[in-house]
Amino acid sequence: MPNALELTGIRKSFDGFAALTEAHVSARWGEVHALLGENGAGKSSLMNIAAGLYAPEAGQLLVDDNAVRFAGPRDAAKHRIGMVHQHFKLVRPFTVAQNILLTAPPPAEFQSHGERLREIERDIRNKASELGFDIDPSKRIDALSIAEQQRVEILKVLLAGARILILDEPTAVLTDQEASRLLQTVQGLARAGAAVVLVTHKMADVKTYANRVTVMRGGRTVATLRPDEASVADLVKLTVGESIATQGFQASATSRGPVRLSVRGLRTPASPEGRRVLDGVDLELHAGEIYGLAGVGGNGQGELAGAIMGLPGEATEGEIRLEGHGDLKTMAASARRGIGIAAIPADRYGLALAGGLSVAENYAIGRVHTGRYGPVWRLRRGRIQSDTQEAVRAFDVQGVRSVAQKAALLSGGNAQKLVLAREFGKSPTLVLAHSPSRGLDVRASAEVHARLRAARDSGAAVLLISEDLDEVLQLADRVGVMTRGRIAGEFAQPADRQAIGQAMVDHG
Amino acid sequence: MAEAALAADVAHPPKTPPLAGRRYALEIRQHMAWRWQALILAAALLVGFAISAAILVAAGVPADELANEFVMQTFFDGQNFRAVLFQAAPMILVGLAGSIAFRARFWNLGLEGQMIWGAIGATTVSMWQIGPENLRLPLMFAAAIGCGLLWVLGPSWLKLKLGVNEIISTLMLNYMAANFLLHLVYGSWKDPKDNFPYSPQFRAFERLPELGAGVGSSILLAGVVALLAWWLVSVSRVGLYLRFVDANPRVAHANGVPVRRTIYGAVLLSGAMAGLAGFAVVAGQEGRLTQAFYQGYGFSGILIAFLARNNPLAATVVALLVAALFVTGRSLQVFYQVPFSMVQLIQAVIVVCVASSDFFIRHRLRRVGGEAAA
Repeated sequence: MPNALELTGIRKSFDGFAALTEAHVSARWGEVHALLGENGAGKSSLMNIAAGLYAPEAGQLLVDDNAVRFAGPRDAAKHRIGMVHQHFKLVRPFTVAQNILLTAPPPAEFQSHGERLREIERDIRNKASELGFDIDPSKRIDALSIAEQQRVEILKVLLAGARILILDEPTAVLTDQEASRLLQTVQGLARAGAAVVLVTHKMADVKTYANRVTVMRGGRTVATLRPDEASVADLVKLTVGESIATQGFQASATSRGPVRLSVRGLRTPASPEGRRVLDGVDLELHAGEIYGLAGVGGNGQGELAGAIMGLPGEATEGEIRLEGHGDLKTMAASARRGIGIAAIPADRYGLALAGGLSVAENYAIGRVHTGRYGPVWRLRRGRIQSDTQEAVRAFDVQGVRSVAQKAALLSGGNAQKLVLAREFGKSPTLVLAHSPSRGLDVRASAEVHARLRAARDSGAAVLLISEDLDEVLQLADRVGVMTRGRIAGEFAQPADRQAIGQAMVDHG
Repeated sequence: MAEAALAADVAHPPKTPPLAGRRYALEIRQHMAWRWQALILAAALLVGFAISAAILVAAGVPADELANEFVMQTFFDGQNFRAVLFQAAPMILVGLAGSIAFRARFWNLGLEGQMIWGAIGATTVSMWQIGPENLRLPLMFAAAIGCGLLWVLGPSWLKLKLGVNEIISTLMLNYMAANFLLHLVYGSWKDPKDNFPYSPQFRAFERLPELGAGVGSSILLAGVVALLAWWLVSVSRVGLYLRFVDANPRVAHANGVPVRRTIYGAVLLSGAMAGLAGFAVVAGQEGRLTQAFYQGYGFSGILIAFLARNNPLAATVVALLVAALFVTGRSLQVFYQVPFSMVQLIQAVIVVCVASSDFFIRHRLRRVGGEAAA
């Protein structure tokens, strides 16, 4: 099979920090080529170069064995390269069709906007049914779940004519069933002749779906091999340089305490079609337990987390009671943080971190209300700096050259570690973790999980909302399944994986 | 040309790309050392001054007199320098008012309206002779703060409660304030002595005293307020809250920043400062309420806040420079018959240059595919 895309000797640094030092990768027509590595290994940077977003400092880019140079994603698209980013690039208030129209090639002859839009909608329906996606082209992006948004991204690059498809951590946000469906779709595209680069850190996906895999570590590519000729242990060793034992479910060391959080009949107002995002959520969470809330994304998980955190949103009926504090409904978000509710939201740069502000400021905002950093009229900058440095070390946040650097410069996994450092810095009574290991590598996920277990063992109640069933089964003492805005079923551990999977897709 | 280069690359894959294939790509820069930022800003100002100088020369000011008029006469002539300080006090205050509100993402375009109400508040105390003589000035001061603050309370409530666009509401309230001012000075507050449309002259103890050497105390007042504003945004916890509200209100809210209170606080403070600017004009400059004292301050306040990047200390410096421009503009008007609107033209030229310089701070040009540029 001839090479579709080849990158050789790529170097790239950001403000003097070398993200890529020596990277070589090639993808052939008709194959799924996995790019495997930890957070910050340089996978996304390398693929951003292939997609024309970054210009390399050295090295060559070849498409069909011809050297090319991209001044931007548009050039890459001309060479039929399309990338689906981990953080989607969609205009949220626009409809699916309008988003796809933005990148679609211009029509051969003049069309009115209405005609063009209808044509695009037709194309979307055709392509979607070809791929087995269920997408309404006239829906607005912000009305879609994350999994649906990802499908829109895939449709977008395909309808823009891409034949070399780069997917950055595509399964990070999907349920088991959705992920395997997506990867089968992707495999089908490769069989039909496309070249697919699958950026991932999931060994299982690599083993099952990739024809070849290139492993990256610390900004270089360390090996390219066939996954069927390597064991998972080999791959783990190549990615992390040492092997990490994967942990199974560990029951709590201590027995669970009294009910810490009780949610009763929580519902949001009905839409004109009579649908409620939250439709009577009832759940009880005890001190000293991890309650895992599994479910396909977009079934109200985000709204439930928002309601508990006290984010501005739709007014809800029902009650949210925290032990010792009564109903939280009238309590402001700031007060809720003050009574020990820690939150690790799914949307890292939308809710957890201000990318434009420094690492130290993002760390300090978690504890500044307690007065630890001085009274209202004076911030103790020295203490903020030393605390942040200490937390950065303790939580192993990589890529922090100075705590005054912008948080946006951290890679996804390291940004998440910074959030953890802040949220677990003050011993919380209730931890709200929404997809906490989304986009994180093996090592970072293991650290996140260890922190959640430690919080439970020290008596906190942990609500783990995750679309990754493996994660839920590994961590949770009890498992609930959320569908259509309510808890559809609860399972005690050890839980039957099949039964949970069934409950997730049942829409009874 | 690019295709030709491509064809050449295929024939002889070169180690370094041929010259013809070199292109320049625009990249977004995440971060730039402050020294470079300062250098770029200085270059932009220089370009702005050069264009302004060219315009002035074209308007008939002799080229060799420009430096003399702008630098020597303005800053090294005692009388002119006092005029600059005199002019600068309300400018500093409106610049600070703009900076504080903009930091909370509240586009307060109602600085003039709040200034008018500040002046009306102070004048009310004088007209009705409220309080004993030695407390009169502090009462006028407090009334100015209170009235400026109240005038912006409506728009801030409408914005936070109902999502009403503050750009429209604050701007429209300026017209209401201005027409009410005319109603007063042409009506019941008209000076009975000469029937001119202004309020009666304030008594001596109702005017801001001189510090000596002809320098008014209003510049001292402005300096103190500037220091307080700097302390608020750079030293206090509120400054951290404001940075989060500015960076991302959703993140701020989720992390327990009292977003609404922070915005209310910043906006009301902005209104209070604008009210104080009105006080500085009526009690420090005019000595009475006049019908057009506020004109141009709204625009200048926004411009000063913008040029100073909402930094209170920088706003003070910029306000002094804008004041110097005003003073020089007046003397140019007298000596060279250059119209005063030239001052506004120069302001605009400098703003455009500085605004454009932002592009070079946020982007860089990089040669695509050249030999390792780093």
